[in-house]
Amino acid sequence: MKTIDEVLKEKQTGLYFGNRLILPFHANFLKVIIDDEIIYDFSPGSKGIMIVEEKEFTNLYFLEHQLLKDSVSKYEAVKMIAVEKSKNIFDKANHKKLAVYLEENHTARIEEAGNDILFIE
Amino acid sequence: MNRKISILTPIIIILYAADLFGADKVLQNGEHHLPSAFMVIPFIVLLLMIATGPLFYKHFWEHHYPKVAIFLGLITAGYYLVVLNDTHSLVHTIAEYISFIALLSSLFVASGGILIKVDKKSTPMLNVLFLLFGAVISNIIGTTGASMLLIRPYMKINKDRIKPYHIIFFIFIISNIGGALTPIGDPPLFLGFLRGVPFFWVLENVWYIWLPTIILILAVFYVIDVMNKKGDSSNQEQTYTGKIEFKGLKNLVYLLIIIISVFLDPAVLSFVPGLSPLPFGIREIIMFSVVYLSYKNADQEALKGNEFDFEPIKEVAYLFIGIFLTMIPALQLIAYEAGVLSDKLNAGVFFWATGSLSGFLDNAPTYLNFLSAAMGKYGLNVNVIEDVREFVFRDDIYLQAISVAAVFFGAMTYIGNGPNFMVKSICERAGIQMPSFFTYIVKYSLIILIPIFVIIWYFFFLGKG
Repeated sequence: MKTIDEVLKEKQTGLYFGNRLILPFHANFLKVIIDDEIIYDFSPGSKGIMIVEEKEFTNLYFLEHQLLKDSVSKYEAVKMIAVEKSKNIFDKANHKKLAVYLEENHTARIEEAGNDILFIE
Repeated sequence: MNRKISILTPIIIILYAADLFGADKVLQNGEHHLPSAFMVIPFIVLLLMIATGPLFYKHFWEHHYPKVAIFLGLITAGYYLVVLNDTHSLVHTIAEYISFIALLSSLFVASGGILIKVDKKSTPMLNVLFLLFGAVISNIIGTTGASMLLIRPYMKINKDRIKPYHIIFFIFIISNIGGALTPIGDPPLFLGFLRGVPFFWVLENVWYIWLPTIILILAVFYVIDVMNKKGDSSNQEQTYTGKIEFKGLKNLVYLLIIIISVFLDPAVLSFVPGLSPLPFGIREIIMFSVVYLSYKNADQEALKGNEFDFEPIKEVAYLFIGIFLTMIPALQLIAYEAGVLSDKLNAGVFFWATGSLSGFLDNAPTYLNFLSAAMGKYGLNVNVIEDVREFVFRDDIYLQAISVAAVFFGAMTYIGNGPNFMVKSICERAGIQMPSFFTYIVKYSLIILIPIFVIIWYFFFLGKG
């Protein structure tokens, strides 16, 4: 199982199908922004998102959206703040701001959200 | 696309068949039918749904708000067509809506292709100067253009300590009150200009009200921001280059085209041909062309940096067609009552009446209806350009009160002016949890704006007219 840093370094991509985003790492998610929806609730009963971990990847099901491609324009990204499972969630230095761009052929390009991307934690 | 054409086609056919483009339909005694007071219900329903939808039934509202807005609008349109047999009001409203959305959409898309990057440390004084700059340029590129151009750099400057109040004051100043000095600044003034109010009249007669209002609001903001800055311990050691970078400046040409096209109206320049009986003219064609061309030719890096999306303008387009249509009965009843009571209406009453309704109804048609009521005091007709010019010359205190109130009070709610919604949407996409419709009013508008507006009324409109 790769870490977030390894995924970013190797430019590994994820996948998306329908309202499901598949990321090639495990993480604790603190905030996810899709369209103008801000999701903080990742509990099992959340009405915004359902997270299902598999052995080698993590599924994010966006319950309020039918097709992710319809909700995110080609210039926008699904933004998230994620923390490696092995790291201390209370140390803000471990908070990774990620931007996931939905490209053709169900490819989800994962980047670290740099200063150019407007992303307020 | 086929579904959209099939919906529009019967409406256009009806309008042409009724042969009522531009012609008045009057009763034998010369008066228009007044709508039933019950016909304000669709408007009230729409307003309530805009306020409560995102709070209590968000999923339904996000997926179905276009259908709700159009459905309620069609109820009103059907009433006017079938019951009142009045297509004149509908055609006028549609024409004004087309002008409104042409201006807003062209400014939105053209400015969306310009990226401004500011790498400076956030301080209260920098924020004040930024907001003041925005207030000034909103009179050149419109409150919509200025809002779209500046909201992202503003958020970036303040990204380490941003709070909702930063955005609310941005909406107050740049998205609304700042644009009170020219017809390009805000839609109600634009409509007044189209009706015959001289272009520079607003600047000459509003600047000395605009300036103290802006100063007062900025002073309140400064105090709040200083208090917020004191509690901020984030990124104390971060360094800043102080650079300001631009991308996509070629879109300034499109902004210039939009500004010039504002004047391309037969009522303003007699050599400009009209396209009657169509409910739009050359100006709207140019503006919609700018929408297409400025997006097609935009700098891709600028669009990506701005995370450009059509959703905010789409939301405005759908909601405001509903608002424009459902509002027709409310505005006609208001105009009628204002005409009946016109002798009792002084400048102060016009200020508060126009303002109160501008915050909840769109401020552009509200402005026109109160202008109509004020002109009614002198037996003048707002549909006659010469009458409007005579009214401006004769006693402009009413026009001043109506103009100031229509623009200023647009800041009172998210639906008071087009850019308010767009700014909210952009901020939420960046991760800022914006106040709800009611929280915005209770926590910000009532506490900050109303006392300032009371001061303005006291010094400029109390006992006048």
